[in-house]
Amino acid sequence: MLVPASSTAAVETTDLAKSYPRVEALRGLSLRIEPGEIFALLGPNGAGKTTWISIVCGLVRPTAGRAQVLGHDVVRDSLAARRQVGLVPQEVNFDPFFTPREVLRFQMGYYGVPPDDARIDEVLAALDLSSKADTNTRALSGGMKRRLLIAKALVPRPRVVFLDEPTAGVDVALRHDLWSYVRTLRAGGTTIVLTTHYLEEAEALADRVAIIDKGTLVGTDTPAALLRRFGRKQVRFKLGAPWSGGAETLPAQLRLLGATLDATSETVICPVDATPIADLLALAALLSPAVVDVAIVQPTLEDVFLQLTGRPDAAASLQRAKA
Amino acid sequence: MNSIGLRTLFAKETRRFLKVPGQTLAQPVVTTTLYFLVFGYALGGRVREVDGSPYIRFIVPGLILLTLTQNAFLNTSSSMFIAKLQGTIVDLLVAPLGVVDLMVAYLAAAVLRGLMTGTLVWLIAGVFTGFGVVHPIWVLTYVLLVAMAFASIGLAVAIWSDKFEQLNVIPTFILTPLTFLGGVFYSAHMLPKPWDTVTRFNPILYMVEGLRFGFLGASSTSPWLGLAITGGVATIATALAARMFHTGYKLRS
Repeated sequence: MLVPASSTAAVETTDLAKSYPRVEALRGLSLRIEPGEIFALLGPNGAGKTTWISIVCGLVRPTAGRAQVLGHDVVRDSLAARRQVGLVPQEVNFDPFFTPREVLRFQMGYYGVPPDDARIDEVLAALDLSSKADTNTRALSGGMKRRLLIAKALVPRPRVVFLDEPTAGVDVALRHDLWSYVRTLRAGGTTIVLTTHYLEEAEALADRVAIIDKGTLVGTDTPAALLRRFGRKQVRFKLGAPWSGGAETLPAQLRLLGATLDATSETVICPVDATPIADLLALAALLSPAVVDVAIVQPTLEDVFLQLTGRPDAAASLQRAKA
Repeated sequence: MNSIGLRTLFAKETRRFLKVPGQTLAQPVVTTTLYFLVFGYALGGRVREVDGSPYIRFIVPGLILLTLTQNAFLNTSSSMFIAKLQGTIVDLLVAPLGVVDLMVAYLAAAVLRGLMTGTLVWLIAGVFTGFGVVHPIWVLTYVLLVAMAFASIGLAVAIWSDKFEQLNVIPTFILTPLTFLGGVFYSAHMLPKPWDTVTRFNPILYMVEGLRFGFLGASSTSPWLGLAITGGVATIATALAARMFHTGYKLRS
């Protein structure tokens, strides 16, 4: 479904910057998102993801640079740009006066789309809200309110949908349902831009990932390419008891390969790099206490993030979100 | 202009107040009717006639204006402030709704609520004092301009407010005192010096007197001067609220 890069970008920002009195939220962020992509913005809290989305959706005015949606400048041609976008905001909101069906009817109208009950029923069904269509939104559970937010963003059929932390606080089953629906939308030609600090969400969904830290872009590519370039496969030797000394007391052959200990000193972690796995496994015999288990761990975007930012604190915040 | 968007927002704002008629229609009408009965009958026996009209009839235009201003103000201010508080304002700010769409939809719904409550007060008062209207065009003009002015002020105050406390400052400390001191229950002629002069700096006096001219055919101030002042206030208030939408003041950071 990806369209060649020569056509108009779904979203393009050039040197986009936003400064607040005490914070520089974005420092010249340039990104190009192609029509039909699922694009993930990955970064810790305060990285600038929501600021970037808010500028593109017209909620925040940029300090410098420019942003376009399908060729429409979000400042100079804001109505045309906003006509193309649907936003699922990070914070759950709801109007206590109305039912989901009424809310969706209003939402279509705001976008200049005449009321269409068939479309509303279709979106309600897709987000498993049909049984609550005529219930006051106040009576919906937290998960249902979040799904209603997604329904609101989708019902006018925008060409670009922004999902700002769409699955934060959502249970695993619903999260996977939402991922499935996002893929269905992409199959229909919709461009999806999502922010997340769930690493597995970016890995599972995104065609491309942009890693953002402190308002700057530190890397962008497909998840597979990022993992190939920056991720490191590891062999983890689980010992029968904690290693008595520090990592500097590990056998020299392992130390030369960059082996370290985990926080409990019960696991020796050795990057694979160019060393054949069989050779690494043979080194297990050098360890005492004896190895009781071996695991080969594939690289993750967390490793990539750590490599690109050099910030274990930021990488750790991503990991906590994952847990 | 996004005509479907405008109509949708107008419909939503109208349905919002119609969903709670006890709070938005019945309560203000009951309150104003109590003013009418208590002031009209209690003072009416003593004052008897003001500017050529029986006192109980004299206060009706002022009470209609009181209801009109409060409801037009409340409709926009509560809706906008709740939208900000709940976060649903994002729906309107991201959607392709322009300043004109937003202003017309919000103001039209607020004017409608003001007209509905004002009409209810007039109907109830009419049972006691009669339904005669001397200059209906003047009444309609004043009612629309006043409702528009207060709906715009309500929008501006709600956009400006970050807390409930701020939302209540303007109506409690400025609008309500000005309205009560704007000749709802008395004529400017009845005030001692220097208050008969001071009261003439209150723009709401001219709105009350203008409406009084429309209903009763007589007033203590020129209806044309009142029209100019009311139109001026409505224009300034509408321009202020529109400017806030245009610049994104406290809406788009």
